[in-house]
Amino acid sequence: MSLAGSPLDRARAGLDACVHCGFCLPACPTYLALEDENDSPRGRLLLMGALLDGTVERDDPLVRDHLDKCLGCRGCETACPSGVPYGHLLEATRETLVATRPLPWVARLVLAIFARPFLLRVALLKARLARGSGLAALLARVLPRRVAMPFAMLASTRRESRPAWTPAGDGERGTATLLTGCVMEGLFTDVNRATERTLTVNGWRMTATNGQRCCGALHAHAGEADAARALARANIAAFEASAADVVVVNSAGCGAMCKEYGHLLQHDPAWAERAVRFAARVRDVHELLAAAGPRPTLASGERARVAYDAPCHLQHAQRVVDPPRAVLAALGHVVLVPLADADQCCGSAGIFNLVQPDVAERVLAPKLARIAESGAAVVATGNPGCLMQIGGGLTLEKRAVVARHPVELLDEGYARGAPPR
Amino acid sequence: MPLASGPPSSFRRLRDAPSFPRVNPDAPALAATLARIVGARHVLTRASSLLVYRSDGLPGLERQPALAVFPGSREELVAVMRALAEAEAPFVARGAGTGLSGGALADGVTLLGLHRLKRIIAVDAEARTATVEPGVVNASLSRAVAPHGLHYAPDPSSQTACTIGGNIAENAGGPHCLKYGVTLNHVVRATVVLPDGTLTTLDRGDEGGYDLLGAFVGSEGCFGVVVDVTVRLTRDPERVITLLADFTSVRAAADATSRIVAAGILPAALELMDQATIEAVESSIYAAGYPRDAAAVLLIEVDGAAAGLEDDARAVEAECRGAGAREVRIAHDAAERARLWQGRKKAFGAMGRVAPHLAVQDAVVPRTRLADLLDEIRRIGERHGVRVCNVFHAGDGNLHPNIPYDANDPDASRRVHGAMREIMTRCIAEGGTITGEHGVGLDKLPYMDALFTADTLDAMCTLRDVFDPSRRANPGKVVPVRACREWHAAPAARALAREAVAR
Repeated sequence: MSLAGSPLDRARAGLDACVHCGFCLPACPTYLALEDENDSPRGRLLLMGALLDGTVERDDPLVRDHLDKCLGCRGCETACPSGVPYGHLLEATRETLVATRPLPWVARLVLAIFARPFLLRVALLKARLARGSGLAALLARVLPRRVAMPFAMLASTRRESRPAWTPAGDGERGTATLLTGCVMEGLFTDVNRATERTLTVNGWRMTATNGQRCCGALHAHAGEADAARALARANIAAFEASAADVVVVNSAGCGAMCKEYGHLLQHDPAWAERAVRFAARVRDVHELLAAAGPRPTLASGERARVAYDAPCHLQHAQRVVDPPRAVLAALGHVVLVPLADADQCCGSAGIFNLVQPDVAERVLAPKLARIAESGAAVVATGNPGCLMQIGGGLTLEKRAVVARHPVELLDEGYARGAPPR
Repeated sequence: MPLASGPPSSFRRLRDAPSFPRVNPDAPALAATLARIVGARHVLTRASSLLVYRSDGLPGLERQPALAVFPGSREELVAVMRALAEAEAPFVARGAGTGLSGGALADGVTLLGLHRLKRIIAVDAEARTATVEPGVVNASLSRAVAPHGLHYAPDPSSQTACTIGGNIAENAGGPHCLKYGVTLNHVVRATVVLPDGTLTTLDRGDEGGYDLLGAFVGSEGCFGVVVDVTVRLTRDPERVITLLADFTSVRAAADATSRIVAAGILPAALELMDQATIEAVESSIYAAGYPRDAAAVLLIEVDGAAAGLEDDARAVEAECRGAGAREVRIAHDAAERARLWQGRKKAFGAMGRVAPHLAVQDAVVPRTRLADLLDEIRRIGERHGVRVCNVFHAGDGNLHPNIPYDANDPDASRRVHGAMREIMTRCIAEGGTITGEHGVGLDKLPYMDALFTADTLDAMCTLRDVFDPSRRANPGKVVPVRACREWHAAPAARALAREAVAR
């Protein structure tokens, strides 16, 4: 069957940019873990080309397996000197393949829930109940490792309740509105509030936007582009109603998706321009904080050792590299320690750890080893998937190390008293 | 580049050699044997799984291996080598597949991937050596020893991806080899497994005897496979100064190169990039801030003890200005230095943006002939209607003419290959050679007869027989042999030579 006119065919020019130099190999977590070039960017690009020109069959199970095993971390894009748009090519390939082969049921179930606000609210409520009752932590302890991971991930999102505090700020930098996100608002509620408070302290006036939906990143990565586009349109419309200067996102994966709405809707004449305009307003929270300094936190006697792990969709997809480090550098109450291979994926990758648990665990293992070597008590990373993957792994291994969003650490510091202006 | 018609007479000895089996052993049976050693997951036999192993870093050349096997430990590697010997199966060793001469292409034979052997076995900071497995990535070795204030000096542009094993096979160079020497100057000892399965240790003959390791390094996988190698580590220089000089003509940049060396300065690196390359780099994500309107830039690095280094830098600047440099810039911090180097190191990939395909070459010419040859290369390019991008190790006279083109256009392909042939012929005529660091591999086989006499080629085969009398290791590469077993095992080499004869 010809793939002429398919999404992959339309993205063909991107494939041509690859000169198979191999520079992407050491940047690819699945190549490092699985040790076969078919599980590397160079290999997968070649398979995409072979699918297009018919050298391999569209339903060749091995070919599909190699493409399915890609995390979509886009670490290869940072390493690629030829500028191959790997992430877009992967999504185009998955969109093309999903037309003839449905996704695994777990993936379809999760994506269906995320596309339906009511079901999503119910699911997140149940998750919070399982977490709050201690059930998640219990199951993480007693179940065999393989099935325990999702519960460990959920348990790791639990936070000690802290007294509320009210930030003061002059709003001189402008107005910002938060993309609340699904998992962020559902399981990392404290991080969202911390985001609002720390931005307020740093000169942003925060406003709320109603009618937000899931950003669609999970759907786009899995190949359900139509679902992603529907969600994108809803979000664009919702945020057009907001007068805020910027749309701030504290989840690296959602931020990367929102910044790419222009690409996602490029073939939709009614929305293409609106999508580009929306994407231009989107900022990662670290970008806003770093631009403002941010205001430092006071030094304290006992300072926790903190290591930064870069979320792939912040480092590679959004190319936001220095701002999170600037935010952490402002923390007077912690000690920063280096983390080797901090730019390598942890294996979370949206719902990847649910559909490819074995690969996800193989990718996570070296990350946990590097964290142990770093001697850190806290791993800071700005993405819910990474927080849960690393947090879950640490929980399963019963380590006295926690995963936290950098904004949480900043907020903790401010809560103890921001330094005088 | 016409090849001599018919086999050279001095291959007599080879023709008289005992006859070899001329077909590959039964692939499914061999695959089953190998799978018992390394596990089924690490043996590939399906055509779709072998697609990615059809090429290395050289664009435009592909060969289909019969199967691929990836041993995961020293024991597995030795067992695999013995099984291949038992089956009399030809094989091709491959590291990360970043080579630029088609040296790691397996034409209908077994591909032996060494990338899983990536352990750094020992680091001796005091003796300044490291012992590593062949699949260790060049740059990761330097990263691992950085805390000791040491690094591994050979730094090919592909250093972030290429393996030490591959570096040894190709005797890899790199920008800093001008001062520090190539791979051969940095190996101490290697345990190798010969094609017949024998495990042996080779050294440089420092304690008497022959420098067998010297013979092994650069043998392009034809002499055996490295099991582990002890390499020399280099102390990080106390200080480094990086300069970027830009010129309004390529000739002036080439002149500056000669003047710097003639002035008695030995820079750590001396790299030239012409306008076409600058344009490609500046349009990529590795934009280094090279002036787009310059006809050429020289990237020059001096390093060593801090005392007196600024004098060296000033002398370099003076020679550049003397040759007509428009501006000489000094990188003022580590970040700027890294950025200037990123542009150079990723230039090859950056050309991937210019056109779908890229022809890459590698030749060495006397440094004093650089200016004239660059003019000549430009004229050859114009005559064939192709755009030659030059980016190379000027201090060593090691040229890398690259031509971006569209291989789907038969006319363009013909012109590109015509131009490349002419450039290589020209380099040989100027007293140069056909490879500085990429190796001969498959790509440059047709030029070997033009550079060496039949007697010399025969001597190479004799040397090879010492290590691999059955000629099963990397068949059909390096020496164009028409009278021995590998000739029959490698249809590609035959086709290539026939093509060359026809030209």
